[in-house]
Amino acid sequence: MNTELVAPSVRGNECVELATFVIEDDRLGIPIDEVDEIHRSVDLTPVPHAPLCVRGVMNLRGEVVTVIDPRLILGYEPAVVTRQTCNLVVRWGGERVGLLVDRIGDVVSVFREDIEPPPANLAQRQGRFLRGVCNLESGILAILDIEQLLVLEEEAAAPQNSRDASLTRAGPS
Amino acid sequence: MSLDDKDIIGEFVVESREHLANIENELLAIEACGENIDSDLVNKVFRAVHSIKGAAGFFGFSQVQGLAHEMENVLNLIRNRQLVPKPAVTDVLLRAADRLRGMIEDVEHSNEVDVSQHVAELRAVASGEATSAPPVQAGVVPSQQEATTGTERQLEVVEGLVEEVVAEGTQSRPSAAEMPPPACQVPVSPAPNLGETAARESKTSSPSPLAESSIRVGVQILDRLMTLAGELVLARNQLLQTANSGDSSAWGTVVGRVNQVTSELQETIMQTRLQPVGAVFSRFPRVIRDLSNALGKQCQLTIEGQEVELDKSIIEAIGDPLTHLVRNAVDHGIEPPDVRIKAGKSPVGTVALRAFHQAGKVSIQICDDGRGIDAAKLKEKAVAQGILTPDQARAMSDREALMLIFRPGLSTAEKVTSVSGRGVGMDVVKTNIERLGGTVAVETHLGKGTTIDVRLPLTLAIIPALVVRCCGPRRYAIPQTNIRELVRVKARDAAQSFQRVQGAEVFRLRDTLLPLVRLDVALGRCAAREGPPSKASNIIVVEAGSLRYGLVVEGLCDSEEIVVKPLGRHMKRSVCLAGATILGDGKVALILDIAGIASHMRLAMPKTDSSAEGPSNAGLRDMQSLLLFSNHPSEYFGIPMEIVARLERVRADHLDRVGGHQILQYRGGTLPVFSLEEGVNCRPRPAKPKLYVAVFSTAGREAGLIVPEIVDIRSVPTQVDTETFREPGISGSMVFEGMTVRLVDLHELARKLRPDWYQSRPAIPTPNGSAPRILVAEDSDFFRKQLVGFFKTEGYEVQAAEDGAVAWELLTDPNHHFDAVVTDIEMPNVNGLELAQRIRGERRFANLPIIAVSSLAGDEDIRRGRQAGINEYHIKLDREQLMATMARLLKTSSSRAATGRKS
Repeated sequence: MNTELVAPSVRGNECVELATFVIEDDRLGIPIDEVDEIHRSVDLTPVPHAPLCVRGVMNLRGEVVTVIDPRLILGYEPAVVTRQTCNLVVRWGGERVGLLVDRIGDVVSVFREDIEPPPANLAQRQGRFLRGVCNLESGILAILDIEQLLVLEEEAAAPQNSRDASLTRAGPS
Repeated sequence: MSLDDKDIIGEFVVESREHLANIENELLAIEACGENIDSDLVNKVFRAVHSIKGAAGFFGFSQVQGLAHEMENVLNLIRNRQLVPKPAVTDVLLRAADRLRGMIEDVEHSNEVDVSQHVAELRAVASGEATSAPPVQAGVVPSQQEATTGTERQLEVVEGLVEEVVAEGTQSRPSAAEMPPPACQVPVSPAPNLGETAARESKTSSPSPLAESSIRVGVQILDRLMTLAGELVLARNQLLQTANSGDSSAWGTVVGRVNQVTSELQETIMQTRLQPVGAVFSRFPRVIRDLSNALGKQCQLTIEGQEVELDKSIIEAIGDPLTHLVRNAVDHGIEPPDVRIKAGKSPVGTVALRAFHQAGKVSIQICDDGRGIDAAKLKEKAVAQGILTPDQARAMSDREALMLIFRPGLSTAEKVTSVSGRGVGMDVVKTNIERLGGTVAVETHLGKGTTIDVRLPLTLAIIPALVVRCCGPRRYAIPQTNIRELVRVKARDAAQSFQRVQGAEVFRLRDTLLPLVRLDVALGRCAAREGPPSKASNIIVVEAGSLRYGLVVEGLCDSEEIVVKPLGRHMKRSVCLAGATILGDGKVALILDIAGIASHMRLAMPKTDSSAEGPSNAGLRDMQSLLLFSNHPSEYFGIPMEIVARLERVRADHLDRVGGHQILQYRGGTLPVFSLEEGVNCRPRPAKPKLYVAVFSTAGREAGLIVPEIVDIRSVPTQVDTETFREPGISGSMVFEGMTVRLVDLHELARKLRPDWYQSRPAIPTPNGSAPRILVAEDSDFFRKQLVGFFKTEGYEVQAAEDGAVAWELLTDPNHHFDAVVTDIEMPNVNGLELAQRIRGERRFANLPIIAVSSLAGDEDIRRGRQAGINEYHIKLDREQLMATMARLLKTSSSRAATGRKS
């Protein structure tokens, strides 16, 4: 995947750096400037009566940070914490939120013009979590929309455990 | 816009806010002065407006500049005594100031704001009066477009700066000088013709200013923080050194140093957050003025204690609840002038705002001298609105009825006005204040007025809390303010103590039934359980508002000061949680919201416990905390804990016998000790290597009783048999959980064994030569006999009464004369409070000392006692203290009687 780290040739300066990670079999990315830090050790305190997707809260150097399991929002089984599980801390509004991801990937640079809108045949509920997709040599990378992903329960539909549409399978045909 | 510009504009906004902060009250003060213009005050406002105008011109905020300019013109006329600041004038100025503040808060868009109406009003005011003034003034009212050429702007900025420098020069501490004087009175005269505009305006103008993003901190506090930061760095270096050197002996000093620096740092940082409560109070003169105008009432506001400091976050949060309470006081409390005159009161009502420190908390009182709250009417309303059944209403005391005002949906206002009366609010006020860790109490006297007492903690950021364990290793923090007591129930007692009432679990705590909430169930960690627990249970008796319940947790960890951290937005709807904190080991613990848990578990309002007992059970409420112990393993004894100063664990070989008396080598000295079998008819204690000694003080010295085996410390009802086992040293006996417990009277025992100690006691004061006569009113046989015994042995003459009614009869009987009264509070027929009130109702008893001896010892009880006229309030039953108090009161009352005779 190192080939992707090399910035693509001079086609324009509208370049976006994406931090990539894997959830289930999907390769996802978010703009690197939205990511605060990434770490492995996850010592969580569960919160009673919190929305389903909240795995708990953690102490991040004196700050109490909510940790979310995006798998539950995207319609997968809850994450099983392994040695590869990482906590991706992102900025969301005024606060910081941790995202549990199965595995962390490389940082890739893509041109804005290479980002396509999410495919129309993607299930409505999953499609709204994506800002777009890009077709890289190594496969398809979907760009997550943090705002939509973390939007509070009262505004969003309740998460269901449906596994109907996987992101990659629903990629552009 | 460049970053620099943003910074400068930010400064302009901060500065303008400061200028405007007190303008309202200053305008009101100017209005109050009327024709006697206080030119200093007018100058101050003028300068403030002028500075804003100058700076706004510099930045090109033409609308702000224009409005300020017109205000300045009117102020100038007032300053030159060409315009009398009548309410109509100040009204216009106040409205303009409101708009000015609104524009400053959103200064970027201020140029889009239409100020033409304000400009027109200000000009009308200026010209209306200017007709009588020299015509020169009329020329100085140009519209801002004409007036502000580039050069003039520059000039005005310079002028503004000069004026500011002058202002700063005369005020040593600008921030202090901005504050109003410590106690100010702002009388407000009625202006019925303006009523409508005022009402309209009070709706449109937002009462809460935006939260400030920066605050001023005193330089000396900053210096102190700097020093402490230096100390912290030094301590860290030491820490690193010690860690590297591996010298474990040095740890103690280093840890001590870090500990000290940290707490000082914490304290100093807290200081930077403290702000005077005056920041909130300053908005109320305006609120009162506008409201009383709108309602056609006359009101004055007195403010005390605005220098009292509270944490910034609390200051920001109490604004709205307090505004609501103040508005209520004017709307519901103060009567219209004609009604007041009929009632023989001054037509001008008073609303008093008082802030003061009390017992580590800040009390804010809102008092009015209005009509008071009619408890009977409240009940009627509550019944009419279906909140209460007629039966419930009848059973409800007036005090409880008063708490109805905090119920949602109930309003006392006869008709709904724009101001209040929709019954929305008081419940919100209460919840908001409780969310801040505070409490609200109401006190009212029909026809005389109402006082609302709001108590707040000094700070929210760091609170004392109890950390408990539940749901396995999970730990939760409970704020100490919510905790009343901790109860541990042994597994073998569980069946007796835990009961079910219609499926709900309750716990029998002394004489009341306490609803129980299992924390793990409340947090949804496991389903409700049936049957008694297999091991000991920990119950935390918690209180939120008027609701009290028991929270069952798995274990108690520690009591510590915790730093409150907010939870993320995802948890906004978790009502059971108030926040989170980070514990010493770095793990996160959630802070429980006691009120939230109650509402989550749908706990109802508490049943009134007074209805549960009739007068026949009188005395049952008297509970006493007893140290239960055995001397010989088969014989049980009890000592009231109030008498025990402390318990010491000692080695038996430290006991010596000197001159026929036992002494204990103890803390480098000796303590005289007694064995129970020396003075009381009982079996001797078995030999043991270690013993307990209950230390108490009697006859002005300390002594100890050997307590071989402690059984428990329990709160027990005082149904005492004072006949069967009575002997000197034993005051009576009781049956408790199948044991016969004899109650030891330590003083009597000591007197019996060491009569020599008691010979040198100071003589009791005798005002007219004879021994003072004391009237003892107490319904419990046990306590009555104890009290009578205490006083008789001290040489007093004592008359006993079984309740307040008998006591009153004795007291008013001309054949008797009493020098002092000692009374219980809870008694059938006439209780102690009523007795005290009756006594104070008669002039001849004005100086009669009254001592209350009660097991009800809440702050509230003591306050009520004092109000009823009780001189001293004693918790049952400390003989030494009681005797000392009696001697002191008799002395002062006899000296008062002597001075009374002289004059």
